[in-house]
Amino acid sequence: MSKDVSLMHTLWTKISAVLPKDEEQFPLPFGAIVESSVVEMLRRSRRQLYSETTSASRMLTAKVLLDFSWEKLNTGTWRHVDKEWRRVYSYGCLFKVAALCRGVPSAEDVLEALRTCDMGLLMGAAIMEDILQVIVRILQGEVRKSTKREDSEHPQVKRIKMECPHVPVIREEVAIPRVKRPSLESFNTNYLLPLKPLILEGTIEHWPALNQHPWSIEYLRSVAGCRTVPVEVGSRYTDEGWSQTLLTVNEFIDRYILNKDGVKGSGYLAQHQLFDQIPELKADIRPPDYCCLGEGDEEDITVNAWFGPGGTVSPLHQDPQQNFLAQVVGSKYIRLYSPEDTDKLYPHQSQLLHNTSQVDVENPDTERFPEFAKAPYLECVLQPGDVLFIPVQHWHYVRSLELSFSVSFWWS
Amino acid sequence: MRWFGFGFNAFGQIYGQDKLLEGECFENEQEVKVSSPTELTAQEDRSDCRLKTDCQIRASWSRRASLYLNGDSCVCLSGFVSNDSCGNPVKESRGCKDAIISESYLTLAFSDRLESWDLQKKETSPSWSMEIKTDPEISGTPLNLPLVPGGYIATKTPLYRSLSPHLRAKSLALSSEHAILLSASGTVYTWGLGSHGQLGHGGLTPEEEPRAVEALWGMPMSCVATGGWHSVCISDGGDLYVWGWNESGQLGLPSRGLRKATQQQISQQQEESPCRDASTSTAEEPQEGEIHEEVFISIQAFPALLDITPSCEVSTVSCGCRHTAAVTTTGDLYTWGWGDYGQLGHQTLISSDEPQRVELFKEQQMRVVDVVCGAWNTFASVVKEEVAGP
Repeated sequence: MSKDVSLMHTLWTKISAVLPKDEEQFPLPFGAIVESSVVEMLRRSRRQLYSETTSASRMLTAKVLLDFSWEKLNTGTWRHVDKEWRRVYSYGCLFKVAALCRGVPSAEDVLEALRTCDMGLLMGAAIMEDILQVIVRILQGEVRKSTKREDSEHPQVKRIKMECPHVPVIREEVAIPRVKRPSLESFNTNYLLPLKPLILEGTIEHWPALNQHPWSIEYLRSVAGCRTVPVEVGSRYTDEGWSQTLLTVNEFIDRYILNKDGVKGSGYLAQHQLFDQIPELKADIRPPDYCCLGEGDEEDITVNAWFGPGGTVSPLHQDPQQNFLAQVVGSKYIRLYSPEDTDKLYPHQSQLLHNTSQVDVENPDTERFPEFAKAPYLECVLQPGDVLFIPVQHWHYVRSLELSFSVSFWWS
Repeated sequence: MRWFGFGFNAFGQIYGQDKLLEGECFENEQEVKVSSPTELTAQEDRSDCRLKTDCQIRASWSRRASLYLNGDSCVCLSGFVSNDSCGNPVKESRGCKDAIISESYLTLAFSDRLESWDLQKKETSPSWSMEIKTDPEISGTPLNLPLVPGGYIATKTPLYRSLSPHLRAKSLALSSEHAILLSASGTVYTWGLGSHGQLGHGGLTPEEEPRAVEALWGMPMSCVATGGWHSVCISDGGDLYVWGWNESGQLGLPSRGLRKATQQQISQQQEESPCRDASTSTAEEPQEGEIHEEVFISIQAFPALLDITPSCEVSTVSCGCRHTAAVTTTGDLYTWGWGDYGQLGHQTLISSDEPQRVELFKEQQMRVVDVVCGAWNTFASVVKEEVAGP
């Protein structure tokens, strides 16, 4: 690196400031599960970071690490992938990012570095005090600087043209009860212990997501537009054509919400721990106080984002934990069935899908599933500001009626 | 017989090891990714192993083992090895009859015993060993690593796994998560994890015990091989069957992810070297949308017949993690699948979902007789093509 003492705060200056000062201070602790040949590659990457060599060499060593650990990440079931391999993958991402940002990176290099950080955050495991999270913030700052001008040149369409959702009329006899700000005690006694569904009103009004920075397409683009996220493509996860892909938030919005490139098929940013990946969004929400009635700690609560256009469907299924589903933007039609009526809901036989019903709730095949019509249910249209309590193992079916953003809290 | 290697060479396992200090690896793209078949030569300081005598090759990710069986047999290791090992025979291997290598272990077969040596630690005794009872009545099928009497040697501990004698195992191929066994009658059995269709039973569920691949019932097979997530076998008649994951085109079937990635790769390479002749790549016009209606296959859960080239019989096949290499009875080598490290040998770094002939051997009038793949590389043995008489 040049010893020029000019105060130009280049991207590389900022990034090298958060990296260890030299090779000796750069830890590479690995257990026996990582073969010594791979450890040698890691050491080589570390050496290249602090020595004079070509960018191509650094990228190549990082590529070897990424390719090897990627294979390990795809071996066996995800749950059983040794955390060491996910760490190797993160180191590979780190070395690649360092190689991309050195010298005078182009705009494409910066976006590729951002994407690489996200891959490390999504598939890897935290290393060096979550250094990828630190670097991603630096890179986002860099991208924002260069896109500020572009935004004012192309004023975004402020409002999506109003979708007129066909809002189902909720019959009162089957409506999920609503209570405004129930006390902890009354919620516990009347709903949690007897496992009865409830819509809690007025409990998330204080969320910054509904107040100081109301979530909107523009806000999400500004906070997370260049971040890479997993997207489900295809109408529902029980379909053959269903798959997952990785897109930036901008790409997801353009393609599946604004339909800019006329791509057919639906996309849903579903069941993703977005708030671990993007701390700025985490700051806009709060776990509901009622979670304290459970046994676990706040760290044990799994928070997922559900963001998509109108028409996304989650087929009727059950989850092994209590759920608070908070509606932030848009509305969703939701139907609930009790676990007592499981015998009328025809769950799939396979191990993979045994928590999912075979029945299409709003268009049931009465010949194949004759008992389904007899199963009692509750339903609602969940509106912004509502929080739906879905008791553990309660079957639920969800369809978004318009552009929608929900946050789910799985707790025990 | 001469051996050529191409693909991953960061540890000098194909060539150039003498340039590396202990434990070092190459950094330069040309040295790490060998995209053109390169002859394996005897290393300078080797005194008693000459590649002139016939040798067999075994390869793991970071190493290559050369097995010399004539006269004083031994194994020589190249790649990620200690300095004193480089070029010299592994002393524990003197007198061995067969060897296999994984990233962690070198397993040696002797006439009276088997031994697995840990490659990562310098130890004075093998991690595992077993005596072979040379009872002429129980001679049965000859030794064929990783098959051993009563079972086989796995790629990770516990090393020894037993196999039912009812299977009458003739040969066995292993990946880290699945296995494919060929019985004496030509029946194919698979077991292990199946999440990518690599077991060939039509689903994605694992099998704990060897289960016959019913789709191949009635067709005796003669050769089996495994990649990281795919399986291949050759029938007695020289037909090739493939199944498993096709994310890099390793099955030789149309791969959607590959087409997208390849188009990106080609446009990148053309940007970098505008004078490169585009005819070496299997490019399609980079247009938006579908060019023609095509069915892409990402997972093939049942065996599919793969026609490498019309009216050609396959004599042997080997798989790397994500690529496949096959030798035809006419002496040609075809490769397909992941090509990022040059392991397809077509002088590019492009992956391919269509089998293509490695032209260099044809051009130099060499007849390919065998192929062995390491994780990310390929080794082929050749003899001079006899000029056909009128």
